[in-house]
Amino acid sequence: MSTIAQPFDFTQQQVFTKQRGLWSQAFMRLRQNRLAVISGAILGFILLLSILAEAVPAVRRYDYDENDYSVIDQKPSMDHFMGTDNLGRDMWSRLLQGTLFSLKIGFLAEAVVVTLGISFGMLAALGGKKTDQVVVWITDMAYAFPDLLMIILFRQVLFGRDWPIIGAGDPQVPGFSGVLLATVLAISFVSWVTVCRLVRGQILSLKESDYVMAARCVGASQWRIVRSHMLPNTLSTVIVAVTFGIPTRIFAEAALGFIGLSVPAPFASLGTLVNDGYAKIYTNNLLVIWPCIMIAVLMLCFTFLGDGLRDALDPRTRK
Amino acid sequence: MVGYTIRRFLALIPLLFAVVTITFFLMHAVQGGPFDSDRPLTENTRARLEEKYNLDGSLGEQYVYYLRNLGRGDLGISFSNDRPVRDIIADRFPVSLHLGLYAFVFALSMGLVLGVVAALHQNGRWDYATVFISTVGAALPPFILAPFLVWGFALKLDWFNVLSSDYGPISVLDWSWVWHDLTHMRQIVLPTVALGFLPAAFIARVTRASMLDVLRQDYIRTARSKGLDHFRVVMRHAIRNALIPVLTIAGPIFAGLITGSFIIERAFSIPGLGRSFIESVVNRDYGVIMGTTVFFAVIISVMNLVVDLAYAIVDPRIRL
Repeated sequence: MSTIAQPFDFTQQQVFTKQRGLWSQAFMRLRQNRLAVISGAILGFILLLSILAEAVPAVRRYDYDENDYSVIDQKPSMDHFMGTDNLGRDMWSRLLQGTLFSLKIGFLAEAVVVTLGISFGMLAALGGKKTDQVVVWITDMAYAFPDLLMIILFRQVLFGRDWPIIGAGDPQVPGFSGVLLATVLAISFVSWVTVCRLVRGQILSLKESDYVMAARCVGASQWRIVRSHMLPNTLSTVIVAVTFGIPTRIFAEAALGFIGLSVPAPFASLGTLVNDGYAKIYTNNLLVIWPCIMIAVLMLCFTFLGDGLRDALDPRTRK
Repeated sequence: MVGYTIRRFLALIPLLFAVVTITFFLMHAVQGGPFDSDRPLTENTRARLEEKYNLDGSLGEQYVYYLRNLGRGDLGISFSNDRPVRDIIADRFPVSLHLGLYAFVFALSMGLVLGVVAALHQNGRWDYATVFISTVGAALPPFILAPFLVWGFALKLDWFNVLSSDYGPISVLDWSWVWHDLTHMRQIVLPTVALGFLPAAFIARVTRASMLDVLRQDYIRTARSKGLDHFRVVMRHAIRNALIPVLTIAGPIFAGLITGSFIIERAFSIPGLGRSFIESVVNRDYGVIMGTTVFFAVIISVMNLVVDLAYAIVDPRIRL
C-alpha cells in the first residue's frame, strides 16, 4: 500500500523515539561496553561476597582469627577453599575479611577525598583571586611532599590516641574501627589535592562557557548557576576520577599494610595479607598469591570500569 | 626565561619552609617520644639524653633551634644510632638512587619502545600486546609484582638471586659500581623490574596516545608527501613531538622512583633511604624523619621545576 507523504510526518516518528537524558544515554553507552559491564559485575560480586562473609557465618565458614593447629599450611580443599596459613587460619575467610577492609578504606577515603576536593576546588575557582591563590599554593605545596611517606607520618600522628571516634579504641562506629578511620584520614589528607585541581580547572573553564554567560544574562543567581549548570558538568569528571581514585586508595592502604603499618593482627587487610604471605613465600606460596590476585583483580576491574565510564560520560569521545 | 627560572627558584624557599614547618609539628604530634621503650629510663638518664639532643626546651624553642641549624646545612643527629643525619642520607640515598635510576631507565626504554611500536602498528599484534601490558601493568603495583617475580623467576626457575639484593652506592667519582653491577646482574634485575613495571606501563600508554595523535597531524602527511622515507618521518618528525607529553610525566616519575622505592627496598632487603625513613617514623627518630622529608621535598620540587623549564625548551609554543 502506498501512502503519500504528509507534511509533518516526521513529528509522528519522533513521538515514538524515547527521550533520553544525559544519564540515561551515558548508562546506555556504558552497557554497550562489555569489558566495563563485566568489571562492574565482578566488583559487585566481590563486594557482595565480602559483605556477606562479614554478616553470615555460613559464607565465611570459619572466623578470620580462628586458629586450628591441626590444619597448618594446608593446600586448598573442600574444607578450606583457599588453604590455611601457618597458624591454621582459613585463608578464604581471612581474604574476604581483608577485602572488605580494603574496600571500606577505598570507598571511604575516596568519599573524603572527593568532598574535600570539590569543596576546595570550587572555593578556589569561585571565591575570588586571593582565595584562589591561597588554595593553589596549598596544592602546590602538597605536591612537594613525598605521598606515601606523608601518609605514613599522618597515620602515625592519628593512630594510638584516645580521640573520639578515630584512634585505637573500640570501634565507636559499627564496622569502622579506629585504625580504619585513621588510615582513611591519613590517605585522604594527602590525596585530595588532585581532585581539587581537577574541579578547579573544570569550573574555571565552565565559567567562561557560553551557557553560563547565557544563564547569567537571563538573571540566574550565582548559586543557581553553580548548582544547576556548573556542578552537573563537573560531575562526569569527578565520577571518572572517583573510579580511578578508589583503587589508588586501596593501593595506598596495601602499601601501608605491606610495610606493617596497617591493621594490627589478627585482623587482615589485603596489604597485611601480602606482607604476611611474602614472609612465607618459601614454604607456602599460596598465602601471598591469593591476596595478590585479589588486589590485581580489584585494580583491573576499577580501571576497566573507569575507562568505560569515561567513554560513556564524555560525549566528545564517542566513536 | 632567566627571570622565570630565578622567580621559580625563589618560590621554592617559602615552599620548603612550609614543608619543614608542617613536618616538624606533625612529627612531634606522633604519640610517644624517641626515648620511650619497654624499659623506662631513669629520670636522670632521660634528662641527660634530652639535654644532649636539645629536646629539653619547649616545642617552639626546638623549632627555632632546628631552623637555625638547617640554615647552616646541619640536619641534626639521629637518636637511634647517634650519627649525623647528613651522613645517614649520604650513606643510604645513593642506594635508593641506584635502584631508582635503573628502574627509571628500564621504565623509560620499555615504555617508549612499546608505545612507539604500538602506535606505528595501530590495531596490530604489537599494539594489542602493548595495550594489554599497559593495562595489566597498571593493575600490578610493585608489592604485588615482587612476590610473583620472586616466586616465578627466583624460586621456580632459579634465574635470579633474591637473598642478597646487592645494590651498592652509586657515585660519579668512583665508577667501580658499573663493573660490580655487570657482575651482579642476578641480584639486580628483579628489583628493577618490580619497581619499574608500573611506570613503564604508564609511559607506554602515554607514548602510544601522543604518538597516535602526532601521526594524524598534517605535517606528517606533508613530510611523507615530500618523499621522506618512513624511518626519517618517524624519527625526525613524529617522535620528537610525541615525546613532549612523555617528558612532563617523566620528571615526576623519576622523583617518585627515587623517593618512593621503600616498598621494593623492604621486599628485597635493600638498605635505601626509604627504609630508614620508615624505621625512623616507628622509632620517633625526629632528626631522620625531618632530614629525609626535607631532602625528598627538595628533590621533588626541583624535579617539577626542571620539567617545567624543559617543557618550555622543547616546546617553543610555550612562553614563560
